[in-house]
Amino acid sequence: MFNDIVTLIWTAYDKFTFLPLFIQIALAFIIIAVAATITSYIVIMFRRYNAYKVDKRMNIMRPQIEEIITDQVLINENLERIPVDEIEFDPATLNNIIFKKAWVRQATIDILISYRKNFRGEVGDLLRKLYIDLGLTKDSFDKLKSLRWERKIKAVVELTQMDIQISDVTILPLTNSTNPALRAAARNAYIQLSKNEPFKFFDIATEPILPWDQMELYKIITTTKDIAVPNFSRWVSYSTNKSVVSFCLKLIAHYDQQSAIPSVMDLLNNKDHYFRADAIACLGKLSAEVAEDRLIRIYNTQPIMCQIEILSTLGKIASGKHLEFLKQEFLYSSNFDIRMNAARAVIAHNTPASRAMIDEMMEETHEENKVIIRHCLNPLLK
Amino acid sequence: MATILLIEDDDIMLKAIRNILTRDGHEVLSAKDGKEAFDKLDNAQYDIVMSDLMMPYANGLEVVSRLRNDPNRRHVGIIICSSVGNEETITEAFRLGADDYLKKPIMAGELLIRIKKLIANRNAGAKLVTKKK
Repeated sequence: MFNDIVTLIWTAYDKFTFLPLFIQIALAFIIIAVAATITSYIVIMFRRYNAYKVDKRMNIMRPQIEEIITDQVLINENLERIPVDEIEFDPATLNNIIFKKAWVRQATIDILISYRKNFRGEVGDLLRKLYIDLGLTKDSFDKLKSLRWERKIKAVVELTQMDIQISDVTILPLTNSTNPALRAAARNAYIQLSKNEPFKFFDIATEPILPWDQMELYKIITTTKDIAVPNFSRWVSYSTNKSVVSFCLKLIAHYDQQSAIPSVMDLLNNKDHYFRADAIACLGKLSAEVAEDRLIRIYNTQPIMCQIEILSTLGKIASGKHLEFLKQEFLYSSNFDIRMNAARAVIAHNTPASRAMIDEMMEETHEENKVIIRHCLNPLLK
Repeated sequence: MATILLIEDDDIMLKAIRNILTRDGHEVLSAKDGKEAFDKLDNAQYDIVMSDLMMPYANGLEVVSRLRNDPNRRHVGIIICSSVGNEETITEAFRLGADDYLKKPIMAGELLIRIKKLIANRNAGAKLVTKKK
């Protein structure tokens, strides 16, 4: 049988060598394609089989783990009677043979995290204690040492969810990783775990904070309790990382850090007009009246996007000192967006003087500008 | 002690809350989605319905609306328990007739106290109605 196959292959090869070159190439492609397809199918089937096996054993193990968590945590009799730190778990549970297997330990971590996402207070604290007492912290820290970035992310997320401190030496380098996903996870974790200086990673950040990551960070910063908020102007003044500066401007506005106004005004000299636009918007959110004259002085030298920000900022500050300037811009600018934002800025003042000015503008201007004013006056349109 | 219908699509949360409520002596029935919830609501009487907001077939607000528009089930206490915490949704839930709103992650103790309080309020309301008659 074996000899027959060898002979067949040999004969085929013998014939193959006499075929024209293009037929040989075509046949080579066909053989490679068929081999690749078969290999792919085998890999897919193998993976599916493995997943099926994992599912099967998880279906058996999951109820056991959930029962242990229910007994030891959810319906623990000592809960609310004695402090969580003093509650002792059943030694038989902690030494249960099922926890010797790595995959069971991982499944336990995942289930504990699911529970902890849904429970806070004493139940949440007791879930954390069970995680520590089962020695699962070691598993997470071992994953943190892995060379694979996805395992590192998993470890960072687990430790963050369980509120386990990670040393700066370990986590800070990850906050500046070249891998965007790992970097974002590490930064999120650092803010949540660091009690004293949650924004220390800004000092070493050379990699950018991407817009999506900024949103995530913003969500974490604004929802994390008792976060130590520093004066963000220090990064506005000294950071060389543009995304850090841009993000800090948003945080300055969010925390209404009035003391940061001088640093933000320094950015008005920056060569990057995106920076200047961000700084101007920040001054508006801070209602920095002190910046108004400076904004008017630089107005004519700015690109359109900065001019629009200046007009919008004057509307937010609404001191009333520059109503005439806004009126002139509305009446004589050839740019539609400038006219629209100038009108909005005047309306935003909402004072007797500004309302009188709107009436004057309506009388003095042409039909298109009247439509702009009517549009801006509509409270339903923003 | 009350009969509670727990509507929750997350298995883990469902089991966890059921265990907590059962330990406190309540009778707990559960539904994993809006459809199952409506079936169970049609077939039995409950003192309290505790519902998630986001779930398949019908969301928590629809459950509230349906209960409050049904003269036979209008008296049922409703607690919404969800991770959705925006003001609009919470206001809408109360506008439709929810009695309480718990934001996930929840505290087990707080949940039990709120349920006790809701039962007490319902009983007080029932006594007033009886007295008026």
